[in-house]
Amino acid sequence: MLNNHLAEEVLGRALSTGGDFAEIFMEDTTSQGIVVLGSNVENASTSRMRGVGIRVYKGFSSVYAYTNDLSRGGLLRCASDAAAAVGEGGAAVDVRLNRSVAANIHPYALLPVDVDGKRKVEALLAMDQAARSVSPEIVQVSASYSGKWQQVQILNSEGLNVSDQRVYVRVRVQAVAANGSENQTGTESPGALKGHEFVDSLDLEQLGKSAGRCAVTMLHADNCPAGQMPVVIDGGFGGVIFHEACGHALEATSVAKGNSVFCGKLGQPIAAKCVSAMDDGTMANEWGSLNIDDEGIPTQRKLLIENGVLKSYMIDRLNARRMSMPSTGSGRRQDYSFAPTSRMTNTFICEGTDDEEEMLRTMGDGLYAKTMGGGSVNPVTGEFNFAVNEAYLVKDGKIDRPVRGATLIGKGSQILWDIDRVGRHMTMAQGMCGSLSGSVPTNVGQPRIRVSRITVGGR
Amino acid sequence: MDYQLIDTLLDLATKAGFTQAEAYYTQGESFNVSVLDGEIEDYRVESQQGLSLRGLIDGKMGYASTEAVDEEDLDELVAAAKENAALIQSPDQTPLHDGKDEIEQVKKENKIARLSAKEKIELALEMERLAKAADPRVLRMEGCELGTQVSRRIIQNTLGLRRESSGALGFAAAMPIIKNGEDMLSGMYFEAFDDFSKLDIKRVAEKAVEDGVAYIGASSMPSGSMPVVLRNDVMATLLRVFSGVFSAEATDKGLSLLKGREGERIAAACVTLWDDPFCEQAYSGSSFDGEGVATHKKAVVENGSFRTLLYNLKYAKKAGIASTGNASRPSYASTVGIAPSNFYLAPGQCSREALFERAKNGVMITDLMGMHAGANPVSGDFSLAAKGFLIQEGKIVRPVEQITVAGNFYALLQGVQAVADDLWFTLPGASSFGSASVLVEGLSIAGK
Repeated sequence: MLNNHLAEEVLGRALSTGGDFAEIFMEDTTSQGIVVLGSNVENASTSRMRGVGIRVYKGFSSVYAYTNDLSRGGLLRCASDAAAAVGEGGAAVDVRLNRSVAANIHPYALLPVDVDGKRKVEALLAMDQAARSVSPEIVQVSASYSGKWQQVQILNSEGLNVSDQRVYVRVRVQAVAANGSENQTGTESPGALKGHEFVDSLDLEQLGKSAGRCAVTMLHADNCPAGQMPVVIDGGFGGVIFHEACGHALEATSVAKGNSVFCGKLGQPIAAKCVSAMDDGTMANEWGSLNIDDEGIPTQRKLLIENGVLKSYMIDRLNARRMSMPSTGSGRRQDYSFAPTSRMTNTFICEGTDDEEEMLRTMGDGLYAKTMGGGSVNPVTGEFNFAVNEAYLVKDGKIDRPVRGATLIGKGSQILWDIDRVGRHMTMAQGMCGSLSGSVPTNVGQPRIRVSRITVGGR
Repeated sequence: MDYQLIDTLLDLATKAGFTQAEAYYTQGESFNVSVLDGEIEDYRVESQQGLSLRGLIDGKMGYASTEAVDEEDLDELVAAAKENAALIQSPDQTPLHDGKDEIEQVKKENKIARLSAKEKIELALEMERLAKAADPRVLRMEGCELGTQVSRRIIQNTLGLRRESSGALGFAAAMPIIKNGEDMLSGMYFEAFDDFSKLDIKRVAEKAVEDGVAYIGASSMPSGSMPVVLRNDVMATLLRVFSGVFSAEATDKGLSLLKGREGERIAAACVTLWDDPFCEQAYSGSSFDGEGVATHKKAVVENGSFRTLLYNLKYAKKAGIASTGNASRPSYASTVGIAPSNFYLAPGQCSREALFERAKNGVMITDLMGMHAGANPVSGDFSLAAKGFLIQEGKIVRPVEQITVAGNFYALLQGVQAVADDLWFTLPGASSFGSASVLVEGLSIAGK
């Protein structure tokens, strides 16, 4: 941790050329990764990241410099590099810091680094064995563990000096089913902002079997037909549709510059009435949660859309300036090598009132998207896409047969209007979201929903 | 960092019981400026170093790395690597390289350093002015960025290997937002360069605007299977996503369908895929790979025939052959994998327009989205959101959006009908990927 005296000197130097706000983000992170492939531990590695990022604002301009030379000289040089981009000459500015520690609402019991590697390996082998037990067609299983302990300290010229620590654990199992000429895969990858006790709480056998079952099902599936049709999207990772179709376009990164289709729409309807949506960084131990964001501001529970009406954007400190609105505690970054910007945390469509079975029964012919892959969006045009890992054709309201290779595409401004059913039970799933400030853990979520018409890509 | 520290690290590792140990050190500095409406919007100056240790105890390989490159942190690094080695169960031996092979030294002068920060900012501002001047429908820039980076790496081990290399690279990118009535469109173009004399910001600005304006009036098209032209950048992107199938590690683990198929015809006769660390058009090559092994140019597929997988030392040993110099370490913290250097589909003779004529009625794909989810490197399947242009009677007639293109990479290689002469490379990273435009059959388009 940086001592107050040195930090004050560095911030003073950063502001010496006319900047009006300076911030230090310091991080010391230890990660461990273990990979089991072919039922053997193939790789095990530990890495430590330790560095500092210094940011200076002048009006709406932002300058970012980072280094992992943490000596006094290194830090002052980094501050000078940043200051030099803002202006010339000038004297150091007087900065006074007040130290605090963020209140921890995401308790953990076992730091990943303190847990014996053999215990982690056992968990991976349990998933490996379960996946292999599904069928002789499972020819390969890879299982991996990643544990991360990130300690951060955020200090700024307004006097903030706050520290926090984030403990993440995630396991992943991928099964490959093959018949000689074709491969298909199935994956499960739960994670949490929690210690190793999270792994202990998982049903590893069920995870492995689920990955195996998906791979085998897809091996025997036909190609998904192409065209427009109604689609029922299951809860959990299905929430990626909201994440891509709407979530990114509600980030201040897009909104502040006027690049989002949802600019100037606060208080206006942007979605069907059955749609309410939330971004909640405060949910205990959830993968996308944080005590404070990477700018030192406590995270919030924000209603983004209420009964179809746009209520809030997700805003970071710099874009708060540009938009003349307060930060929503949404400033995030992958690590100290990225300047933060507005990002999602746990983002989901709220529970609705529709019956989960009825929406399938009354959909006619269409697609039931059971498990989703990731997706992406162009926030300027609102064009989004996401992949369906496990899908079934529906004929006359009944599930007919599995199909592979389905991709759903559309435009965010349109798709939110085409949601005509929202189920009663919301579930979430874990993902890594990539954007300007790097890759950050986020949860997506929703109850089962129905979209009346969407373009399905297939063959 | 002084070399002494690496010697100390290897000594500590030996004392801790490692029979062989290797240090890998990387250091980089970079500069990025992006401008918006005549002002600096974002400015970044970066300096980063990292040191990794890997070594063998009882024939098992453990890894650890750190950014805290100080003498007092070395003990912790050695202890972590030792702990990780004890977990390994894989029966495959991982040898280190003794450095007795000859490497082809390519002396490259750093031609990126000669511009000051001020001059680079001025270039970015000028690029924005040029983009706005290129077309009245340019509303503003979503991004207008200029960056440079220099890097250095050292690999040294207890078998006597010691090699060092450095590199310098720049890039310029323009992303204009085009407003046409109520419609917003985004364009993009970028160029990488190793010398500022090769950069033409007017070309970058104008091509980016052309890219955006070209999609004005785009709409979907009917679904179907039809001849498809994959523009060079699109084909290069597909090669990037699926290049892993040529890795000996992937075939060994059952994650590629190419196991034991060397010598077989796996692609159309017009397809030749090169891995060339010394390719002058691309920037990801080096004279030695992530294990310090000398690199060389090789055909992976030649006139449709599968010639070789890509190997590092571990999988070369397993196969009883020599490494192809494709050990990859994208960062100091990465474990050693396998990746190409500059990997590209060799250009053919004809123009891109000739591909349209041959396609007669079909579509040219110019943009793919959602690669990380809609393309599966294990199965080879892809189903991706796309944009492009409708081809009728051998000519481009209108822009197309809101479609998907689906197929399978292995089938795609077989389905190539013709290759144009327009070789182009994606932005360089740990590897670079390039291609010329290709005409293929057997892809499915989903639209209306």
